[in-house]
Amino acid sequence: MNNEHKRTRRKRLAALLMGVFAGAVLLIAFAVGGRVATGQSAPARSGSDSVFSPAHATFREALVHFLGWRPEPEQPIPFPHRTHFEEAFLGCTDCHNGAARGPIARIPSVVFCMDCHFDIATDREPIQLLTSYYDRGQEPPWERIYGWNPEAHVRFNHAPHVRRDIECSVCHGDVTQMIVAEPAVDHTMSFCVACHEQNQASIDCVTCHY
Amino acid sequence: MPRWGMTVDLDRCTGCEACVTACHAENNIPTVGPEEAARGRAMHWIRVERYWEGEFPDVRLKFRPVFCQQCDNAPCEPVCPTYASYHTDDGLNAQVYNRCIGTRYCANACSYNVRFFNFHNPEWDRPLDLQLNPDVSVREVGVMEKCTFCIQRIQAARIEARADDEEGAIEDGALQPACAQSCTANALVFGDLDDPESRASRLSRSPRGGKLLEELGAEPSVTYLQKGDWYESGGG
Repeated sequence: MNNEHKRTRRKRLAALLMGVFAGAVLLIAFAVGGRVATGQSAPARSGSDSVFSPAHATFREALVHFLGWRPEPEQPIPFPHRTHFEEAFLGCTDCHNGAARGPIARIPSVVFCMDCHFDIATDREPIQLLTSYYDRGQEPPWERIYGWNPEAHVRFNHAPHVRRDIECSVCHGDVTQMIVAEPAVDHTMSFCVACHEQNQASIDCVTCHY
Repeated sequence: MPRWGMTVDLDRCTGCEACVTACHAENNIPTVGPEEAARGRAMHWIRVERYWEGEFPDVRLKFRPVFCQQCDNAPCEPVCPTYASYHTDDGLNAQVYNRCIGTRYCANACSYNVRFFNFHNPEWDRPLDLQLNPDVSVREVGVMEKCTFCIQRIQAARIEARADDEEGAIEDGALQPACAQSCTANALVFGDLDDPESRASRLSRSPRGGKLLEELGAEPSVTYLQKGDWYESGGG
C-alpha cells in the first residue's frame, strides 16, 4: 500500500516536472522570437544570419516546424470546391490545369474564373467580389494551403503523379466535399516514401531533394 | 540507367566564362562579396583556371574549366558522417542539403576543390531575387553545396522521357547542364558514358583525353581533351 502510494506520488511528480519543462520550452520558444513559417515563405532565410540549426534560424522556428503548426490560411473569397464539383461538374484538373503538364498544379487566374462567372451566379456577393478583382485587373490573393518550408529542399512535380493515375485525393484529401479547401493530409517524408515504395517509384534522395 | 559524364575540350575553350555565369543563374549560387572572397569563401560551382605557358614574348594562354568531377571513387563520399554526400545509381555525387550538418569533411577530402560551404545565408538584393530558379532550392547557412550536373534538368528530362513510355530513355543531346548549353565554343559536352554512341562517350575515348589528377584514383567522370602530352603541358 505504502509502496503504491509512493509510486503514484512519483508518477505525479514526473508528470508535473514534464509539464513545467514543456511550459518552459514553449515560453522560451516564443521569447526567442522568429516568425511563424508559412508554406510560401521561400526563400525565407535570405539575408538573416541567425542560426539555431542549419535548417532553422531560431529555436521557435524549429519547434513550430516540429509541431507542424501553420497559420490558418485566409482566403479572399470563400471558394466552394464542393459546389463546383457537384453543381458545375468540374474536375480538379479543369481549373488546376497545370497538374497534368508540369510541376505546378496552378491556382487559376481571375480571367479563367470569369470565363464562367460573367454569366453564372452574378447576383451572389462572392462573385461580385471576384468581378471587382477582375475589373481592377488584380488577382485575388489566394493563399496556398500546402507547401514545404524552404529548408525541406523538396522539389515536387505533379505531372508524373497525375500520369500514374494517382488520385488527387491521395495527397489532398477529398476536396470535392470541402467548402473552402483545407489541408487534410500531412505531407511528411514517410507519407511520400511509403507511396513511392508501393508503386516502385525511385526513393533515391535526389528524386525529390535538390 | 545512364551514367552521366562530361568532356571538356581545352583546345576549344576560349575562357569566356559564359559557363560560370550560366551556372550561377541556373543554380541560385550566391555571390559572397569581396571581403568573403578574399577569405577564400567565393562560391563558383564551375571556375575557369588560367595558365600561362612559355616565356615572353612567346607565351600562350590556356584555360581550364574545373567543376565537380563526379568521381566514381569519390573521396568526398566516405568521409560524410551523415551520408549527405552519396553516390547515385546514375553515377552522380549527390549532395543532400537536408542531411548536411556542415562538418566540411567532404570539402577537405575533395581533390579538386569544388565543394563550397555556405558561411552565411545567401542574399539577393531586389530585384535580383526575382531571377532565382524555382526548380533549384536556395541553400541556407551551414550546408555544403557543389555542382550537380544540373540535377533539376536531369530529373525534368527523365520525367519528360517517361511521359509516353515507362522505359523511355533520354535522347543524347536532349539534356544539357547550363554550362554546356551556354558554351559558345562547344567545349563542354554532356552525355551518357554507358551509351557508346553518345557524343560525350565518343569524345571521352579520344586519344587527346585525360583526367585531372588521375593518379589519385578518384576515377572522375569528366574527361579533358587537349593536344600534346598531358603532364608536360600542365594538364595533370
